[in-house]
Amino acid sequence: MATTTENVQAKPSLGSRISNEMFIVLLMIAVLVILFVIAAIFVPGFMKGQTIVNIFTSNWYIIIIGIGVTFLLITKNFDLSVGGVIAMTGVLSVYFSQAANVSRNPLANGLGLPYPVAIGLALICAMGIGLVNAFFVVRLRVPSIIITLGTMMLARGIGRIVTQGAQRNTSLPDEFGLIGNMTLPNTTIKIYVVIMVLLVIIAFVWERKTVGGRRTYFIGANSSAARLSGVGVARHLTLLFIMSSFLAGFTGILMASEYKAGISSRAMGYEFDALVVSLLGGVSIMGGFGSVLGMFVGALILAVVQSAATGLLLSPEWNFILKAIAVFIAIMAQGYFLRRRVG
Amino acid sequence: MASTENVLEIRDLVKEFPGVRAVDNVSFDIKRNTVHCLVGENGAGKSTLIKILTGAYDRTSGSTLLNGREYVPHDPKDARERGVTTLYQELNVVDELTVEDNLTLGLEDTTFWFIRKTDKVSDMIAVMNSIEPSIHPKQKVGSLSVAQKQIVEISKAAATEADVLIMDEPTAAITEGEIERLFEIIQTLREQNVTVIYISHRLDEIFEIGDYVTVLRDGKHIDTKPLSEVDGRQELIRMMIGRTVFEEYTPKEETNPELVLEVRNLRNHKLKDISFNIRKGEIVGFYGLVGAGKTELARAIYGADPFEGEILLNGQPYTPTPQKAIEAGLALVPEERRSEGLFTILTIRNNIPVMNMESISNHGWISASKERGVAEEYVKKLNIATDSIEKEAAKLSGGNQQKVVLSKCLNADADLLMMDEPTRGVDVGAKSEIYNIIRQLAAAGKSIMICSSELPEIMNLCDTIHLLFDGELKASMPNGDDVDSEEILHIVTGGD
Amino acid sequence: MSDTIPSKQELAYQQDRSDIIRANIKRFYIYFVLALVVVVFSVVRLDEVSWFERGHFLNPNNIINLLRIAVPIITVSGAFTFLMIAEYIDLSIGSTMSLASVIFAWMILNGFSFPVAAVVTIFAGLIMGTINGLLVMKLNITPVIATLITLSLYQGIALLIVPDGTSAIKSIGEQTMPAWINNYAREDVLFGLPMAFFVGIAIVIVLIVLQRRTVIGKYSAAIGGNKTAAELSGINPVYWVSILYIIVGISAAMAGMARASYMSLGDPLSSQGMELWVIIAVLLGGTKFTGGEGQVEKTIIGAIIIIVVTVGMLTVIPAYWQTFALGAVLLIAVVINYQLVGES
Repeated sequence: MATTTENVQAKPSLGSRISNEMFIVLLMIAVLVILFVIAAIFVPGFMKGQTIVNIFTSNWYIIIIGIGVTFLLITKNFDLSVGGVIAMTGVLSVYFSQAANVSRNPLANGLGLPYPVAIGLALICAMGIGLVNAFFVVRLRVPSIIITLGTMMLARGIGRIVTQGAQRNTSLPDEFGLIGNMTLPNTTIKIYVVIMVLLVIIAFVWERKTVGGRRTYFIGANSSAARLSGVGVARHLTLLFIMSSFLAGFTGILMASEYKAGISSRAMGYEFDALVVSLLGGVSIMGGFGSVLGMFVGALILAVVQSAATGLLLSPEWNFILKAIAVFIAIMAQGYFLRRRVG
Repeated sequence: MASTENVLEIRDLVKEFPGVRAVDNVSFDIKRNTVHCLVGENGAGKSTLIKILTGAYDRTSGSTLLNGREYVPHDPKDARERGVTTLYQELNVVDELTVEDNLTLGLEDTTFWFIRKTDKVSDMIAVMNSIEPSIHPKQKVGSLSVAQKQIVEISKAAATEADVLIMDEPTAAITEGEIERLFEIIQTLREQNVTVIYISHRLDEIFEIGDYVTVLRDGKHIDTKPLSEVDGRQELIRMMIGRTVFEEYTPKEETNPELVLEVRNLRNHKLKDISFNIRKGEIVGFYGLVGAGKTELARAIYGADPFEGEILLNGQPYTPTPQKAIEAGLALVPEERRSEGLFTILTIRNNIPVMNMESISNHGWISASKERGVAEEYVKKLNIATDSIEKEAAKLSGGNQQKVVLSKCLNADADLLMMDEPTRGVDVGAKSEIYNIIRQLAAAGKSIMICSSELPEIMNLCDTIHLLFDGELKASMPNGDDVDSEEILHIVTGGD
Repeated sequence: MSDTIPSKQELAYQQDRSDIIRANIKRFYIYFVLALVVVVFSVVRLDEVSWFERGHFLNPNNIINLLRIAVPIITVSGAFTFLMIAEYIDLSIGSTMSLASVIFAWMILNGFSFPVAAVVTIFAGLIMGTINGLLVMKLNITPVIATLITLSLYQGIALLIVPDGTSAIKSIGEQTMPAWINNYAREDVLFGLPMAFFVGIAIVIVLIVLQRRTVIGKYSAAIGGNKTAAELSGINPVYWVSILYIIVGISAAMAGMARASYMSLGDPLSSQGMELWVIIAVLLGGTKFTGGEGQVEKTIIGAIIIIVVTVGMLTVIPAYWQTFALGAVLLIAVVINYQLVGES
C-alpha cells in the first residue's frame, strides 16, 4: 500500500480542490436557485423587483447575529441569548440617550448621555452577557444550550425592567434615528443592509484567511487535539461568545435607531432563526465544519421560502412548520451528499 | 454440548490491516478449565487476537471453534451471549448504579418492565460474595476501588456461566494485595468451569497463575506449552524477543554536553519521583510496557497533566501548558493520534501548520501559497502517500496519519520532540521512514524523547535508554553492544 | 430496582468523612430549600396578586391554587428527569403541551366527549414523543437540534389548528365551549382539589415507581452513566431512549390537557417557554446533566420550589421583573447543580 508518492504537485481535479464546506455552500446555492425558480413559477407576484430586493434585505438582522451563532455552532456551542441581547441593548441605548429629568413619566427619563457614549455603554453591557456565557461554558463546563437559555431571559429581563414591560420612545436626541434610517443615496436600501454585507464579508475573510478564524475550526474539529496543539481554546471560545453578544448588541442598536424606540419584546425568536439559517447553510453540529457564507445563503433560502409563503397567502403560522421542514431536509440532504462525496 | 478437551480452537487465523498483518496464521488450542496466558510484546498481536475472539474485529481468514462448534461473533454483545466475556482495562460498569444493579444489568427478570426480585438476584450476589464478601450489594459501584469493580465484572461473568473469561492486563491498576486476591478468584473460577485467558506482560504473574502460555511475536504464533515445561523467565523472554539483532544502532562519535531538558523529582498520581536529563542532539528512549507511565510522563512534561516537581527547559524553569511548551520549543506526538493528534475531518493542508501558524501567515493573515508550500514540503519530506494535500486526514492510513502528526511537530521547529508510541499501528515502510527522520533530526542538533513499548524501536534509535515500570524509573543505560535485551525485559516486567 | 439512595450500610462503607457529609447534604438540601422558601414567603405579605387571598401564603386556598398550577410542571419535569439521566434532552415540551391543549379544546368544542378527547390528546402526545425518538435515535440528529425542529413543527401545527381571527380554540360565534370542560381541572372533587390534580398525583406516583421498580429507571441510568457497558449488557439505547421520549410526550400532552381544561380554551401559545421551567426544576433536583444520576422525587421538589419561588416573587416584584428573575434563577440553579454534582 504505502508506495512512494507520485508528484504531489500535480493539480488535483477541480472537484477535490473545493473544500467540503464550499461544496455544501454551492449545493445550497443550487437549492436557492431551484427554490427561487419554483417560486417564480408558482407564486403570483413573486418576480416583482421589490420582492427580490427584499430577499436580500429582509433578514439582515438574522444574518448579522447569524455570524456569531455560526462560529459558535462550529465549535459545537449554542448561543440562544442573542434575541434577548438585541432587545436589551436596544432598550439600553434608548434609556441611556433619553434626556434626563424632563418628564414626570419615568419611562420618558433617561440618563441623558451623548448618543455615542450611550451606544458604547450599551454595547459593553451586551458584551457582558457574552462574558457570562463564556464563564459558565468555558469555566464551569455547563452545556451552552442551558446557559444561554438563562442569559436569554436575563438579557430580555433587563430590557423588560428598564421599560417596565412596555417600551421607551420619547425624549430622544435627534441623532438617535440616524444610523437606523439612513439609506443609500437614491435608493430605499438602508445603510444597515450595507453594514450587514460588510460584516459578512469581514467574517468570511476572518474565517478563511486568518489565524484567529482558523482556530474556530480546530476547536470544533477536535478540541483535545486543539489544546494539545497549542491552541488557546478557552480564550478563543470566550472571544466567540463575546463577539456573538457584541453582534447582537450592535443589531439591537440599529433596530432601536430604526424605530426610534426600545421595545422589550423585540427580536423574539431571532435566536431560533439564526440557528435555522446556520443549519440551512451547512454548518454541522458535529463540529469543525461550516461557513458564514453558507449561513448567508441559508438566510436567502429562508427569505425565499417566507416570501413565497406570503405570496401564496399562507398565514404566518406556516413559518414554524416550513422552518422545521426546511432544516430537517437540509440536515438530511447535506449528510447524504457529504457521505457520497467523501465516500 | 459435547465436552471437548479444548474450549477454544484457533486455526490459521489471519487479520490484515492496510500494510500490516497483525495476526499472521496463528493456530493453537486453549484447554478447558485452565488459565491460559497470552504473552508477547506490544505489536505482537495479542490485542488484535482478543478483539477477534470477542467480535470487536472481523477476521481476514481462519477459523475459531468454541466448544467444538464454529464460532464467529458479530460483536462483543454477541460474544458475551455465546459465553466469551472480556474484562477490559476500561471497566464496563456503570458507576452510578449499585453493585446489585450492575450484576443484574440486562439480565433482570421482568414482568411488564417491573423488575422482580427473584432468586437470580440473590444467587448472583451470593456468587459475588463468595468471591469477595466485603462488597455490599447496595454500594454504588463508583465508590468501589478498581479491584473491587473488577470483581463485580468477574462475578457477573461467572454467574452468567461464561465459558471463557478474557482478562486484559488486569493487574495494571491494582495493588499487590488485590493481585493476590485476584489470583485466588481466578483459581476459584477455574474450579467452576470457567477458562481464563490471561494477558499480561508481568511475567512473574504468568508463572504464578498460569497453566499454559502462548507466546506471540510479530503477529505469529511462536509456541504454546504448559508453564511447567517453561524454563523460567529467560526462556519466555527469549521467545518473546526472538533473535532480532539490533545492529542498526551506531553510537554517536561526540555528544553535546549541553542540556536541553532537566527533569527533577517529577511525580503525580502515576509517576513516582522521576529525574533525568536530555542533552542536545540526544535521542532518549523510555521503554516500558502497558501501565508503566510512559504516556503520563510525556504529558506531564508537556503540560497536559498536572504534576509536582521541577522542569528546566534550556536551563530555564517553566510551568508548562501545551501552549507555553510549544513556544519554549517542545512538541508532542500524542499516543492516540486520532483523538489527540489529528483533526480528522480537516485536510492534510489544514492539519500540518496548526502548531506553528506563523509559518503560514503574516501578521495573522494566512497565506494560501505558504500554506500549500508547507503542506507539500512535509508531504514530500515524510513521503506521505496521498494524491492531494486536500485529502481529509481521516482517510489516510495509520502510517500516513502518524506522518501528518509528525509534520505538525516538525513544523513547530521544536528543540525537543517528544513522541509517544511513534510507530504504533504504522506499517513497516513508514516505520523506517519515521526512524530516518528521527535520526536526521538528532544529527541536526534536535533532541528526541521516545516513549515506546516496542523494544526494537528503542534499541534501534536511542542513545540513552530509561526503563519504566509502574511509574518508577527503574534503570537507565547508554545504548550499545553490551545492552542485554533480556535483562531489559526482565526489568520492565517487574524484576530487578 | 434497588434504592440508589445511599443506605445506612453503604454510608458505612464510605471511608471519607467529608464524603458522608456531602452525601447527606445532597440528600436533604432540597427539602431544606423548600422549607426555607415556604417560610420566607409566608412571612411576606401578599397584597397584589389577584388570585391569592390577602394574608398569608400558607393559607389553604393559596396552597390549593398553587398545587393546581403546579401539576403540569411537576409531571412534565418528572418525566423529563429520565431523559436527562440518560443524557438526552427534549426542548419541544412546551410546544407539545400547547398542541395538546389545542387538540383537546378543539375536540371538546366540536362535541366530542371528555374520554374521547382525552384519549386522542394522549395519543397525540405519544406520536409527538415517537417523532422525537425517531429523529434522535434513528436518524441520529443531535437531540438539541432534533427537538428544536419539533418545537417549531408542533408550535406551527398548534397555531394552524386555531382558526383565523381568534387567538385560541374557544367559544366563537355559535359554537360555544361547553362549560363542563372545566370539570377536569377546576371542579372541586376532594378537599377543593380538581380531578386533574389527582391525576397529576397518579402520574407522579407512576413516574416514581417507574424509576425505582422498573427497568426504565435502571436503564436510563445505565445509558447515561456508561453507554458502552449498557450496550454490552444487551440494552438497546435506540429502543429505550425512544420510550423515554414517548413518556415525556405523553406527560406533556396530559399537562396540556389540564391547562386547556383549566382555562376553558386551547391557547397555542400558552406553554411557550415551559422548557425553561422544567430544566430549572431538573437542575435544582440535582440531576447531573452529563447523565447517570438523578431522581424523580428530587426533581419534583425542585419543580415545587421553582413554582413557589416564582409565584412568591410575583407578589413581591412587579410583573416585568419576572423574566429577569427567571433567568437569574436558572443561573443560580446551574451554580447549585454544579456544587452538588461536581464538574462534568
